[in-house]
Amino acid sequence: MREQILSKAAIANPKTKYGDAKASTRHFLLQRLSGISNVLFLGFLIFIVTRLAGEDRAEMVEVIGNAWIGLPFAVLLVIVTLHMRNGMRDILEDYFAGRTYSLYMTLNTMWTLAIAVIGVFSILKLVFWG
Amino acid sequence: MAMSIVHRATGIANYAGSSLLVLWLAAAAWGAEPLNLVNAIYGSWLGQLVLFGYTWSLIHHMLGGLRHYVWDLIYGLEAGQREALSWANVIASVILTLLVWTIFVWVGN
Repeated sequence: MREQILSKAAIANPKTKYGDAKASTRHFLLQRLSGISNVLFLGFLIFIVTRLAGEDRAEMVEVIGNAWIGLPFAVLLVIVTLHMRNGMRDILEDYFAGRTYSLYMTLNTMWTLAIAVIGVFSILKLVFWG
Repeated sequence: MAMSIVHRATGIANYAGSSLLVLWLAAAAWGAEPLNLVNAIYGSWLGQLVLFGYTWSLIHHMLGGLRHYVWDLIYGLEAGQREALSWANVIASVILTLLVWTIFVWVGN
């Protein structure tokens, strides 16, 4: 998204147009909406982790394998990864530009995608195949 | 100012910490052996220390995020109010983290 490094004068002048208005608004909204969802996720996370910390597989299957717990948790986890990617984009935009920024952004996408895919597959395995 | 950096730092910590959750879930899906290994690592004193820090980081980032909704509604933006919110955020995050660990870990087990 960010092609060049912005000068202080460009930022200070309200008449310069920089950045993508639509993408930035979408970014803001996604971060706020996913943030609300993440409060729910943290509730699930604390329940699941404190209930299952150190327990064996049978116990994990019983709790996370319960579709009413596992499936919402999987959906919430995917929303968390969107929030992660979006938040990391904010950081990358501050420190990198051009091709370096694109490279880091690709790594960011791959990492968050991996978290989502491995997390969801693991939960689905526990829910549907035990 | 400092709290903005802490919000960013806890965001990065949570970004990394999510791999701990996914590693645990993947180990459970994989089988008993990997799960025992992950449990042993997470149950060690270093593992517990990291998980304690991760708990605080998640709670602090959540409260910092909730503060943004307050600001979005044009409350708490004045000088003094912002600093008060920052301190409330730090204190509440520590208290909530200790509460979670006291109730569910130290007393619960």
